[in-house]
Amino acid sequence: MTDLLQRGVRKLQTFEPFREVNNTFPKTAEILAWKQQGKPVFGWLCTYIPEEIIHAAGALPVRITGYSQEMELEDGNAYLYIDNCSFSRSCLQLGLRGGYDYLDGFIAGSTCDGARRLFDLWCTYVKVPFSHILTVPRKMTERAHELYYHQIQEFKERFEKFLGFQIKDEALRHSIEVVNRSRELLKSLYEWRKLDNPPIFGAEVLEVLNASFRMPKERFNECLSNLLQELSTADVRHTGRSRLMIVGSVMNNHEFIRAIEEQGGLVVADELCTSTRYWSDPVVLGDDEDPVKALARRYLNNFPCARMYPSDERFNRIIALARDFRVEGVISEIIRYCVPYAHDLPLLTSRLKEEEIPTLALDVEYGTSGSGQIQTRVQAFLEMLEAKRK
Amino acid sequence: MTVNEIKGNKLAAVMKSARLLVRMNRAHADGRKSDTLYYQMLANYCERILKAKEEGRFFAAHSVFFPNEILYAMDIPSMHTEMTAWMTALFTGETADMLAAGAELGLASEICSAHRGLTGAYALGVLPRPDAILWSNLVCDNTAKCGELLMKINHCPGFFLERPFRNSDGEIQYLVAELKDMIGFLEEKSGHKMDWDKLSATVANMERQLEIYRDISELRKATPSPYHIQGFFQLLNTYYLFPGQPEAIEYLEAVRQELAEAVQAGKGAVPNERFRLMTLFIPPMYRMGFLEKLSQEFGAVSVTEPFFMHWGNGHLNPDRPLESIARHSYMIPEACSMYGPLTEESIKTITDSARDYKVHGAIYYANNGCRHTCATVKVFRDALSEIDVPMLTVDMDVVDPTFNSEDEMREKLQQFFELLEQR
Repeated sequence: MTDLLQRGVRKLQTFEPFREVNNTFPKTAEILAWKQQGKPVFGWLCTYIPEEIIHAAGALPVRITGYSQEMELEDGNAYLYIDNCSFSRSCLQLGLRGGYDYLDGFIAGSTCDGARRLFDLWCTYVKVPFSHILTVPRKMTERAHELYYHQIQEFKERFEKFLGFQIKDEALRHSIEVVNRSRELLKSLYEWRKLDNPPIFGAEVLEVLNASFRMPKERFNECLSNLLQELSTADVRHTGRSRLMIVGSVMNNHEFIRAIEEQGGLVVADELCTSTRYWSDPVVLGDDEDPVKALARRYLNNFPCARMYPSDERFNRIIALARDFRVEGVISEIIRYCVPYAHDLPLLTSRLKEEEIPTLALDVEYGTSGSGQIQTRVQAFLEMLEAKRK
Repeated sequence: MTVNEIKGNKLAAVMKSARLLVRMNRAHADGRKSDTLYYQMLANYCERILKAKEEGRFFAAHSVFFPNEILYAMDIPSMHTEMTAWMTALFTGETADMLAAGAELGLASEICSAHRGLTGAYALGVLPRPDAILWSNLVCDNTAKCGELLMKINHCPGFFLERPFRNSDGEIQYLVAELKDMIGFLEEKSGHKMDWDKLSATVANMERQLEIYRDISELRKATPSPYHIQGFFQLLNTYYLFPGQPEAIEYLEAVRQELAEAVQAGKGAVPNERFRLMTLFIPPMYRMGFLEKLSQEFGAVSVTEPFFMHWGNGHLNPDRPLESIARHSYMIPEACSMYGPLTEESIKTITDSARDYKVHGAIYYANNGCRHTCATVKVFRDALSEIDVPMLTVDMDVVDPTFNSEDEMREKLQQFFELLEQR
């Protein structure tokens, strides 16, 4: 399987720009060049923040993530305390140590306890010229949409005041098109994963997604178009012991998925805020519609995070995804202290059981590469899935 | 079957303990009137739920900071989920089976033990099964996420009340609309109609309660400070369980009276007050007796608990009861200091309290399952350090006594008191 993985990577020449960005993040050449041109960079946290608004202002939206590997988090522990999730601790430590010292602002939502407190401590100790936190409703009702519309509108107005100019509707419409194009391309990438023998590994897809948060959108779209073109002609086809889906907490380290794939799992689908939940739904904008309204609708109705109510919305979409990608087993990875997902787990496991889809539940730390005990458990899970098939 | 005879029922055990404390307190020559009233209130609270269950009447379970004043106005007996878990820990010390049952359901150990324990208790059937689960996102992800599993375990409907994060007029109106929906849900499920006059009267009483809380806080500024650590838990429980209830007003007035007399007589909570402490977050419930003894031994008195007792200056308007209830949810001290947003004002509340109460040191009880509160440990330590008030952090779990031992806690506190002595 390792040989196969290496062969696949070697053959995908168009993959390199993504890898380059991820290897050098947060200080990528493109971000630094952007700053050198005197253009602003704004960090955003969580998929409920409409990055189109940042893009429409001519600024570079960069998603706040932590270290790509599991790290000692001395500063993160000292500032956020040990019982906050390692994602927020990792992000904060990276911020405290100057990783994001180019940021002109930080935008977050009241999405979960970890995100709220990361925002609070970032503002207190890392400090940025502009900061804003939006109330993000947990419901998806009309009333909640109205509230979220006003939240986004308020954010836009504060942002404009900070920047000293107004973001025109035309600019916002253009940005919606650009980001929708990213979503469309990512959807095409995922279509390849539905094949019996996909030409791209799950770990590679996560690398592409990571790059999508860290590159100028136009450049990302160009690079992904090239990759899709290459995939259509590449003769690489991957096989695996079982078709798997990864669900759960935020994940950026593709090595975790690679470790599963090296054992023979074929990761064909994922339900993470760094994967399907990031790109799955486009912004649908009518000709005369207020673009902020369209953004509010899309961001609140998007494939829901475990924070949203009712949870069935998330579970139904996970099950639809599993059917669509012909998933045989689900691996749930939950970062310790990531409470929304931990609360959902018993209910989700029960729903998947009704669909006869077995679940492997893994408690992990953010950035884990999936070695050691995790490997042993994945191995046993794959054996169980094979036995079930027989 | 009488309510006392429900086998293994944790709520019945709490009720029995509360009744026993009433009797003991009455028999004790120096027994405080307020303590008698408090334990009587608790016993009545448990009995009301158990009787409703026994008689097949509708009753609801609700999470912390859920506006249960609405349930009182609708004459629906209600059970506070987190407080039930905490009271079980405090009065019975029997939480291991509940926590184990929660783990068996698949709830990770990082989930707040009050929620894990309570869910486990329902799974074991040792709490009366409610007819509806009511919960909100105030004050954390645990409260926001606890409801659906509880609905499934109890085979009952539920209502999730969404309380927006920030405090703007639009968000207040959103919450008011949510409250109306919730009342509609309860009317449909319970058959009880909202008594709007009763709700207005309840809100008027809540305003009276706020005034008394502020008076009590003022009296605690005296040197020596007249209140004891166990008293803080009683005050907390009172506003959690009895918003706008006449018996709570009677209890609070008794506390105020006793404290006023003590202040006038120059009598402190401990014979020789040496250390005036600020308590941040909640000390472990099951160690209240231990902490009380330690307080006496070292002359250390908790004079302020700003996360819970700093009620600010807001007022409620009984003519606009739902809007007042919505605004009240932003006045709750925990909602400001623990939930956020963390503003300069919330930090100032802590440092101002330290100055106003002439605090020598602060103790932050870092509850393992309370992530967003613990995230402020450093912020508040730094803020207090700037005004030369040292802060001790004690790792603990609010329900689970296996997290740390009494000896460990004693050693930490003793060292802290020595440090304060040297200063």
